[in-house]
Amino acid sequence: MRVLGWRAVVVFALLAALPLVPGMSRYYLLLAFDALLFGAIAMSLDLLMGYTGLVSFGHAAFYGLGAYATAILLERGVQSVWACLAFAVVVVGLYALVVAYFATARRGIYFALLTLIFAEVVYTFFRYTQTFGGSDGIQGLPDATILPGVPLDTPLKKYYLVFVYLLAAYAVCRVVVASHFGRVLVAIRENEDRARFLGYNVARYKMGACMISAILTGIGGGIYPMRSAFATPDLMLWTESGEFIISVMIGGLGTLVGPVVGGVFFTLLRDKVSSFVDWYFIVIGLVLVVIVLFMPRGLLGYRKVLGFSQWRASG
Amino acid sequence: MDYLVGVLLPQLLHGLVFGAALGLLALGLTVIFGLLGVMNFAHGELYMLGAYAGIAVIGVTHSFWVALIAAPILVGVVAAVTEMATLRPIYRREPLYGLILTFGLALVFREGARQIWGGDMRRILPPVTGSTPLLGMTYPNYRLFLLAASSILLLALWLFFTRTRAGIVVRAAVQDAQMLDGLGVNVRRVFTLTFAASGALAALAGLLLAPIFTVYPQMGVEMILLAFIVVILGGMGSMGGSVIAAFVIGIAQSLFSLWMNPQRVAIAIFGIMILVLIVRPRGFLGREGVLE
Repeated sequence: MRVLGWRAVVVFALLAALPLVPGMSRYYLLLAFDALLFGAIAMSLDLLMGYTGLVSFGHAAFYGLGAYATAILLERGVQSVWACLAFAVVVVGLYALVVAYFATARRGIYFALLTLIFAEVVYTFFRYTQTFGGSDGIQGLPDATILPGVPLDTPLKKYYLVFVYLLAAYAVCRVVVASHFGRVLVAIRENEDRARFLGYNVARYKMGACMISAILTGIGGGIYPMRSAFATPDLMLWTESGEFIISVMIGGLGTLVGPVVGGVFFTLLRDKVSSFVDWYFIVIGLVLVVIVLFMPRGLLGYRKVLGFSQWRASG
Repeated sequence: MDYLVGVLLPQLLHGLVFGAALGLLALGLTVIFGLLGVMNFAHGELYMLGAYAGIAVIGVTHSFWVALIAAPILVGVVAAVTEMATLRPIYRREPLYGLILTFGLALVFREGARQIWGGDMRRILPPVTGSTPLLGMTYPNYRLFLLAASSILLLALWLFFTRTRAGIVVRAAVQDAQMLDGLGVNVRRVFTLTFAASGALAALAGLLLAPIFTVYPQMGVEMILLAFIVVILGGMGSMGGSVIAAFVIGIAQSLFSLWMNPQRVAIAIFGIMILVLIVRPRGFLGREGVLE
């Protein structure tokens, strides 16, 4: 409770009660699932982008690898939700260890490009490997089970799974941000060289932030096929990473809550606009342009515009 | 000997042809990066718009050659308007914003093209047909034309940047825009015109490659990654480096595809890239310390 603060408790209570709203159909429950999942992933990215000052253009790979981990197990008859998620953590963790080790050695645009290229390697691998379905991915997965004999079959159960994920991820992020470790991350964002001179092993802190962000994202990816019943390589395409970044920017960098709002907003916008017109990407692109031009702090970004001194110092 | 003439040589030429066109694309990207500090994610979409503008012009005039002049001009105008409306206000902000803004612009252009021209694959017929016997093999005339046209353009650009006042002004702006402003040059106009020119170059590359590749709204997405790789390999902001890197990547890609499937080729190219970023992030000719 104390970690979350009373406002967050109220919001989570409301989210827990959301399925009780009259007229909450199967469709809206699944939409809420998508919105919260996207929000939670944007929040995980914010830990890296907003707090550490590292813009990852490769989060789609963490997300997609998590999804494939679950899909591969479900396809082979392992149905436990927990086994799938544990496998996702292991797979994404191992991959993230490699990416984080190399990418955190660089800053700014180089970090963004390194994560992007690593993600493209993973995308290309799954896109062309027939064992994992090639470009079609793994389709038609069975329902997972929460406990032996208790299937995760209704939208209501799925909604609560993602609710618990968001709650846990938020708690983790809050704890990290409030800790000494989190403060050092902010110090690195503000001035990496000074943090190093103060005696902090900057590389290790950046790696830690990368790993936490990647694993949280990977768990989200692991949950996704339990609702969609598929995992495709398109989940790993760099445009997907771009959509995570968009959500963070819409909500407000370095606020944790903002990106959740941004992710929800983005999902609802996509759903609403796409039900009227099929050119919703134009609307989303324009929203992004308008936000960068006129609201660089995002919907909830009450803090000062990016203290990214390292971007400047290195330019 | 048969292997050399029948397999290796044509593939080497293919790589050279592709590298030259890639050079046109990457050159615009690297100049914009050096000048504005913006990694332009919408560059691939300008390349795509070039091909579609070409199709539109050919539809009206039935001439590839008219399109070759008109399409880059049209896309250049689009780029100039875009620069003035969206990029100009954010030059003073962090490069991150430019990255994200152009990502949004790319979405708009890509979806706009899909709405106007549909999502189908299209083709442009090569304006030059037939093939020429060359070094014991026969090689398609259009590819030879493409190689010649791109090389002449690259040479012209090199002359422009080294021998003309306008080119020197652009290079001065890359070095220190503030100082240039202080010397009384209208830097804003330099920015806009350079952005328009880089868009026109991308469009030209798109149209020149269209008879070899297919035209579809997503065509810029894959090219832009390759162009990024070229720009990093050459050294961000270095024009000469970009051109060299474009040929290296073009030839490497076509040689690799002799011995590997497309998946392994892509992964090999990415692998080279990761290695370069880790070991020598400033690439071939990049200035030391730039964004390392």
